[in-house]
Amino acid sequence: MPFCESFEQLGRFHNSLLGVSDAPFVPKGFLNEVIRKRLLIDGDGAGDDRRINVLMKSFSKWCHSNFSPEEGFSQYQRMLTSLAQCEFSMGKTLLVYNMNLKEMENYEAIYADIETSITSAHEKIAECKKEIQRAKRIRKNRQEYDALARVIKQHPDRHETLKQLEALDKELQQLSHIKENVEDKLELRKKQFHVLLTTIQELQQTLENDEKMDSDDTQESLMDNGD
Amino acid sequence: MGPVELLHMSVFSQSFSPCGRFLAAGNNYGEIAVFSLSAALSPDASEGSQKPILNFTAHDGPVFSLLSTDTHLLSAGNGEISAWSWAELIKKNTKAAWTRKPNYETSLEIPEINAMIINPKDNSLTVGGGDNNIHIMDMETGIFKSVLKGHTDYIHCLCFKEREGEILSGGEDGAVRIWDSRTNRPVHCIEVFKYEECARPQFGKWISCLATDSDWMLCGGGPSLSLWHLRSMSPTSVFPLPGCQREAVFYQDLIMSVGEGPNVSHCLHGGTVKAQIPCSPSSLNTLALNLKNTEHRVMTVGGSSHQIDVFTNFSYRAFSLSF
Repeated sequence: MPFCESFEQLGRFHNSLLGVSDAPFVPKGFLNEVIRKRLLIDGDGAGDDRRINVLMKSFSKWCHSNFSPEEGFSQYQRMLTSLAQCEFSMGKTLLVYNMNLKEMENYEAIYADIETSITSAHEKIAECKKEIQRAKRIRKNRQEYDALARVIKQHPDRHETLKQLEALDKELQQLSHIKENVEDKLELRKKQFHVLLTTIQELQQTLENDEKMDSDDTQESLMDNGD
Repeated sequence: MGPVELLHMSVFSQSFSPCGRFLAAGNNYGEIAVFSLSAALSPDASEGSQKPILNFTAHDGPVFSLLSTDTHLLSAGNGEISAWSWAELIKKNTKAAWTRKPNYETSLEIPEINAMIINPKDNSLTVGGGDNNIHIMDMETGIFKSVLKGHTDYIHCLCFKEREGEILSGGEDGAVRIWDSRTNRPVHCIEVFKYEECARPQFGKWISCLATDSDWMLCGGGPSLSLWHLRSMSPTSVFPLPGCQREAVFYQDLIMSVGEGPNVSHCLHGGTVKAQIPCSPSSLNTLALNLKNTEHRVMTVGGSSHQIDVFTNFSYRAFSLSF
């Protein structure tokens, strides 16, 4: 930026741009750059650059021409105000420049923040994906468990079946006990009847034998009498 | 391929390449089409990337079953099994690596092969088809080493239980038979149509889909799709899906199944149907999940249409590949 430290530097610079032989040789490319920069900064001629030029001209006029003391003094005052304005605008642009630098830093900081939050979001996504896989596995296991449980529920309860089995066992035992008793009684009766029947038969036999013997006796006595 | 042929095309089988970047699909004309998934899923995919990169006639009859090993694509047609090297297919070379036929008892008719699975334990290929038997072939030597007999009608589907080394087969006779792969003897026989809660006599007794997940088994077809607990051999949940299911898989905590009706059904193990996602074919024959490759993790379904629907998020159809 062609804003210089002191007034003399400013004057010398200006002269050199105008082609006055005060300055050493300036290459054409450099000249173009500078011209482009000056146009960018103040191309319309209505601002600071114009003020500096006016200041320069009035200064040279003030130096070379003869003014009455009052006019000279007023001219001097005018030049001082103009200089103050130039300095003011220079200070303003410096402040703006510093502000821009600080803004840049701020933006850099924000960028860094956003970068870190992006990476942390990526990590969170990966974590959540793992979680979802785990949850899917858990759901599958639960469903399988439910399916098996449904099948198992269809079958009767083990305790009840055991109890039923026990009751049936007891009943069975009781019944077999009764059966044994009945069978024993039956055997006994059979034997008793057998004894009874055999005694009856024997008695019958003896009675028959007796009868036979009686009739034999009478026959023998008749035959004896006949002789 | 004229428009009439396209209209009558059915996709019967699908298989993803070992790298997960390609999909092979077989149709009823005996053709196999290879699609590039990386082209179709890339952000600048166009109409052309939904067409196959390679389409060739592999068999005389329909290609009912496709299977991928680490290096080869196996396809089953009318009674014969052909192997194609994936590397060669990607380079568009359609020469088969080998073609073998199981030993059939009669040489009069050639039965079709409906299902193929690989037994990773002893590197053998198990095929089941129209001759009611399961043939086991050793992959290295190519010799058919054993035959499992027991079904009384043709076999629809095969499945393998890794942990116990058992082969499950489902057939037209309505029985799911479990065979031990080492001794080649039948272990169990479940006649699904005899269970009242599953049976649907109006559809028949055939079993067309089988899937296992360690202790659990899915089976469906004529009877409703049902989830069975294999240790107790009892059906635990029956899914109220209207049509006959043709393929079902376990995926994370869901069960996905396709069958009659233009939907992919998502069901939970408890027996509820969580969602039915509509698709373009009017009825579906095959469902495949590409789980080997995390970038191209898609589900593809094919059925009575020349289009194969691709699902990138399993809840809705993303786009369709077409023959």
